Formats: sequence, C-alpha cells, structure tokens
Amino acid sequence: MPRPDHINDLEDLRMQLSAEHTHFTKTLTFCGGTGCQASGSLSVIDAVKDVLSKEGLDKRVLVRVTGCHGFCEQGPIMVLEPGNIFYCHLTPDDAHDIVIKTVSKGEVIERLLYTDPVSGTKVGTEAEIPFYRAQDRQLLSQNRLIDPCSIESYIVLGGYRSLTKALTEMPPVAIIEEIKASGLRGRGGGGFPTGRKWADCWAAPGDEKYVICNADEGDPGAYMDRCLLEGNPHLVFEGMMIGALAIGARQGYVYVRKEYPLAVKHARVAVQQARELGLLGEHILGSTFSFDIEIARGGGAFVCGESTALMASLEGKVGEPRPKDVHTVVDGLWHKPTTLNNVETWANVPSIIMNGASWFASKGTKGSKGTKILALTGRVKNTGLVEVAMGTPLRTVVFDIGGGADNGRAVKAVQTGGPSGGCLPVDKFDLPIDFEALAEAGSMVGSGGMVVMDEGTCMVDVAKYFLAFLQDESCGKCVPCRLGIDRMLEIISDITEGHGRPEQITLLEDLAETVGETSLCALGKSARNPVLSTLRYFRDEYEAHINQKRCPAGVCKAMVEYAIDPEKCNGCGVCRRACPHGAISGKKKQVHVIDPETCRKCGICQSECKFEAVVIK
Amino acid sequence: MQQFVTLTIDGAHVRAVKGASVLDVAIEFGICIPHLCHVPYLSDLGACRLCIVEHVHDGRSKITTSCTLLVQEGMVIRTNTEKIRKLRHNIAELLVAQAPNSRAIQDIAVLCGVKEVRYPFRNSDCVLCGRCVRVCTEIWKAQAIGFVGRGKERRVDFPFGVRPDFCKQCGSCVMLCPMTITPCEGPMKPGEEHLCGKCESQVSAAQTMPGACVWCELGKGFQCARYV
Repeated sequence: MPRPDHINDLEDLRMQLSAEHTHFTKTLTFCGGTGCQASGSLSVIDAVKDVLSKEGLDKRVLVRVTGCHGFCEQGPIMVLEPGNIFYCHLTPDDAHDIVIKTVSKGEVIERLLYTDPVSGTKVGTEAEIPFYRAQDRQLLSQNRLIDPCSIESYIVLGGYRSLTKALTEMPPVAIIEEIKASGLRGRGGGGFPTGRKWADCWAAPGDEKYVICNADEGDPGAYMDRCLLEGNPHLVFEGMMIGALAIGARQGYVYVRKEYPLAVKHARVAVQQARELGLLGEHILGSTFSFDIEIARGGGAFVCGESTALMASLEGKVGEPRPKDVHTVVDGLWHKPTTLNNVETWANVPSIIMNGASWFASKGTKGSKGTKILALTGRVKNTGLVEVAMGTPLRTVVFDIGGGADNGRAVKAVQTGGPSGGCLPVDKFDLPIDFEALAEAGSMVGSGGMVVMDEGTCMVDVAKYFLAFLQDESCGKCVPCRLGIDRMLEIISDITEGHGRPEQITLLEDLAETVGETSLCALGKSARNPVLSTLRYFRDEYEAHINQKRCPAGVCKAMVEYAIDPEKCNGCGVCRRACPHGAISGKKKQVHVIDPETCRKCGICQSECKFEAVVIK
Repeated sequence: MQQFVTLTIDGAHVRAVKGASVLDVAIEFGICIPHLCHVPYLSDLGACRLCIVEHVHDGRSKITTSCTLLVQEGMVIRTNTEKIRKLRHNIAELLVAQAPNSRAIQDIAVLCGVKEVRYPFRNSDCVLCGRCVRVCTEIWKAQAIGFVGRGKERRVDFPFGVRPDFCKQCGSCVMLCPMTITPCEGPMKPGEEHLCGKCESQVSAAQTMPGACVWCELGKGFQCARYV
C-alpha cells in the first residue's frame, strides 16, 4: 500500500482500496467482539472459512470479522449482505448450512433466525429486529462495517476524511468553535462541555500539551468504551488527532484497563498501522502537524477512571486523585495542560467535523446533544449496547428496545449511570436521557450503564451492593469517602440484617450528603447517589426493613424464612438430599419440613424443588 | 519581589502573598478553620477534609479544602456558614468514631461541635492523615514509610513491612502523629471508647465571635498551625 505523503494522496488511496474489493459479491459479517468471542464466534468463523474455501467461494465471498454489534446476548451473530439476513446463536456445526444454503442458494435457515421474545415470531432481517429498530446508531452502526485490525477498511468507509478537512480547512479556533457549537458534552460521566474544555486547554500557557483518551471503563456491566475501542479504534484516534490539532498537542495517550485485552490488542495494531501510513508520527500527511499516540494499560483500579488519578497512574505514580482546584486543562499530565476525554466523546468528534455542528445539535435536547450509547442489562428481554438520541425517554429504552421484564414480573426501577448513579422508579420512566433531567431526579447519565430491576429486587440490597463496590474501589485517601462509605455500608448492612433503627434513615441521609459534598474526587462525590435515590423513591422499603423487619422483595436473607408448602410437597426427597446443612427432614413420600434453627437460608432447596413447594415466608 | 492579592474571607478584605493557601492566610489573620492533615512546612494532601470552605465564584458556591486552594485576586471565601459547620461536624464525628483514643481527635470533635457520636466506636490507631509520610518524604527525604493498600486496607507501613536501613529512627513521624497524644484520662480500653467533651468550655469564648481564633487550648492538642 503506498504511503500517502500529501493530503490529496489519502483520497487516491481510498479510491484504490475500494476498487480492490469489487470482486466480492457477498459479505459475511461476523461479530468478533469480546462478547461473541466468549460465546465461541472464533470457531464458527474458522468453520465457515473452511467450508467457503472447500466450496471455492472464498474469492467471491468476503468474511469480515468486526467489533461488537451490541447484541451480545444473541452471540455469536452473523449478518449476510446483500439481503441483511441476520443469524444468531451460531455453532460451528451451522457453518455448512450457512454456506451451502444461504450463501450459495439464497435460502434462509429458519432455525438460525432471531426470535423476538416479545411477540415470539421469527425475524428475517437485521433491520427488522425491534432491538435495533428503535435505536439511532450513529457510532455503533459503523462497527459492523469495519474490521478493527485493518486500517484499509476504515479508510474505504471515509476514515480520516474529517482529519484532512480539519488539516486543510480549519484553524484550531474554528475546530474548537465547531465543537462548542455542536453542544457535545463529556460522555464519561461528568457531562462537561467538550468545546469549553478544549478552549481552556488551548488558551492555557505552555508549548507542551497532551490529549488523553480515558478507556478505563470500570462500571459493572458497562462496556460501551470497550466496544468502540475494540471495534473501531481509528475512529477514536481520528477524534484524538483532531483534538490534538485544535489544542496544540503532539502526544496522546490511550489509557485502557488491562482487563480489556482485545481492546488493547486492537488499539496497538491500529497505532502501528496508522504509523506505517504516516497518519501518526512526524508531519502527518505532509502537513506541519505531528502527533503520536501511546497505548497505556491501567492496573484495573476503578478510581483511575477519575482524571487526576488516571494522570498519576500514567506518570507511574500510585493511582490516587489529587485536588482539582487548578483544572487539568491547565495543570494536568506532568503538570502540563491536558485534555482528557472519554472514548465515546472522542469517537463523536470526527462526525461533528465532517457533518457540521448543526447536524450533531439537531439530535437531542436543549442541554444534551447527539446520541448516547447505553449498556442495557438486568431483568429485560433484550440486553446489549443501545445507542439512542439524547432526550429519548427511559421508557423507550426499557420497553421498546429492551422488551420489558424478562420473567413476566413487572419492572420496578432502572439504575442509570453505573455504581455512582441512582435508581429511578417506573413512574419516572418518562424522563428523557438528558444530563440535567436525570441529575435533577437524583440519578445521572454517567457513562451510560442501565440496569433494569424487577419486583424481585430489594432496593436496600441494591444500595448495599453499590456501596460495597464503591467501598472496595475507594482509594482511601480522604476521610469522607473512606470512612463515610464504610459507615453507610455499616448502617445499610444493619438494616438488611434486621438490626435497623428508625433514626438511622436520617443519619444515612445526613452522612450521604456529607460524603457527596466533601469528598476529594468524583468517586466519593457521587457515592451518595445510590443511597439518596433509593431513599427518595423507595423509602417504604427501608421502613419495612426497619419497622416490620420485613423485606418486601424477599431478598434479604435475615428477614426471610424458607418453608415447605405441604399442599405441593410430594415427598420426593430432592431437597433433603440437596440441603448442605441437613436442615430438611421427612420420610419418603411424606411432607418434608425445614428446621428454621438449622436452615442457613442458602436457597438451594428452592432451586432444586421441581414442584415449587419451597416458599419464602 | 513578593506579589500580593486581595481576597475576601468571611467578609473581611485580606491582603495575602500570592501563592499562599487560603488556610494559611485565614489562620494568619485569626480566622479559625479546624484542620488535621495540614502542617505548615509540609505539602498539602487534602485528606482530612476538615478545612473545607465555600468558594463563591460566578454566583455559585463550591465546597473545597482551603489547604489546597491557593489565594487569587478578588476571591470570595466563606469559612463558617451553617452548611460548612454541619459538614465539618459530620467529618469530625466520623473521625472521632473511628479513632477516639487520641486527645487530638477528641479536641477536633469538640471544636467542630460534636456532642454525640451516632456510630459505634472503633479503636483505630491511625486516621491516615499522612503527616508522618510527608515529613519522612519531604523533610528527611528518606521515604522510609509510605501508604500501602487501597481503601479500607490503606495503612502506613515500611516498604514490604520491614524497617529499612535508611530509617534513622529520627522520630519525626511520631512527633507529628495526632494519635500519639493520649486522652487526658489515659488511653481508653477497648469497649470503653467514648466522646470526651470535657474541654467544651474552651470553645465558649468562640461562641460570641464564631469563626474567630480565640487561642484555645484545643489547638495545641491537634497541633493547629497557629501554634507551630
């Protein structure tokens, strides 16, 4: 491949590369993201490639292994173009049928089609799947067209065109103005206006400046950053290059957590390929702009997603936050002006430069523009990555895209924004996904985690879970976070274990406010959200735990008692044999009994009983 | 040549050396801001969060620690609002519940108006103020002790738990440690920890002029920067 030495050469290269691919009449797109790999997509891909070469089709059919499509639950998945045929839950045994029937003859294999869990019908094409249909996939849709390990596939689709536009047509001030006008806000959790951050960094004194991409995504269940960096690394790099051009940086860092090996690998491959093509390094595309990117691996501390802790970690120090009385845009990495943005924020930049600020600002609400990727998990029928325009009501995400509760129970709440976010009840589901609206309701957009909970979830237990997570991940530097979260957890544990006292609710509120107001970094500042939001909307559950010593959802072990329904028990003895504590007694074919003194409430008997005779009192 | 800035602390116009911290300036001018991890000749960590103040900027007030906040021209600071007093009280309560067995911590609790402790007492030996670590690192350049572990497991320790040769046992760490000052009635036995509160009369003079330093004896206990 010729190295483009001038900005115009990139267009020539693009034309040349697209001409090379014309002999492929069909494209089989397989998801090779972490989720699908875990479900065994690599062996399916190998099997399909084998059959294709045996049939002599490998010159006409392109097998493209892409990053995550977002519908991980259905993996391994495959899309055949033309025809937009979508197959899911593939196994290597299906390879023969896929090639012989679908690829050669155009027959659709019924058993591999996706079944909509809401209506129970088979869906023929990808475009018709309700999960995808209700979304607005600006960033995620590119994932399925791009092989993350090939810079060519990114260039063919118009990659690095925004960079050339910025290089030729836009001075730094114009780039910053464009980002400002677009209304893009930080996607990592803070929601700070990106344009303002860039402008401050541009104006900060100093010749040496840095850009950093924060890919230290640590929220339980969230993986939008992984998906982007793994599936489309050049898009993120292009955003960083435009940012570096705007603020005047020559060096960029991608800080990615080490638990994302595939993202690290793809990012490293992408850096190498970009360097070979002269898109990174000295005098990019023959211009005066020089920029390089280094991939740094994080050690897996949640707190290192906080900007100052991340910078400390990059510098080789202990990953602990420091006070931000002087912002990092002035005093950042190695005390130099630094612009740090989240993966998703950087990924939004190229399209804003290409299509203009007004295009981006046309989506969303007054204060929150563009689209947002959410990680939809929990008790919904469809889980996966969801991209919707800002301002979309929570209801649309949970019911239209997620398909509602997965087990026939009613949806009770949704937890947005990861461990630092809050829980919103069903009557708040008309709230739009908007930075201000969710913050006002006591939660936050955060990085975009969205956990749906049904009636079988105890909200006190949920708050306890998130507090335990935050306590575990707190760095321990400042008093309110270290001791405050510890005490909140102590109180909530008391409540779930049945030792709660009524005055502890007030204490909890008081303490949560103190932790939120006085903590050093955002980890502590947002640790109040899980407590305050559950107290605000589900206070009755706290009161039931404290006053009646009762857990309405039947989750808190100290407050439930297992018993056997004599009407349903037929004396099969399965529970008696399964009980590890020997708490169940009863003769063969006679009603069994649980001894409450010996019972440790592990719940094994309940899951073993085939007649639903074990009940929670 | 020294440059000066003018700022407002609790309504008073104060002229301060550029580069100084708000806490140092306030203490110099006799405004009482309780503090624990701050030591005048050491770098500031912002760990104890007792020295929080309200920084009013663009009509919005932001709560931040005054030890890490540097003075700026035209800055408006409030050190003694109801909100700050309440938050400070809650932090002091957390501290005294964690480590009641120290006169310094008990004195801070009194100064911050803690009358009862709503948490079960623990009897911790260390509040992780980091005075010892910083004096060892910054004054003696020895780095013989440092923070080890994260979150609940965070503690001060020697490298790999063994006292290194370059620890000269100078004792600076012990001298600065707030936990080495035992309560007046002697160390509390496990299970008998309580809020002392016997020095409340020390703050009675301050009640008539809230926020002003009255040279109380409490400051000696927790090594208030005014006494250093």
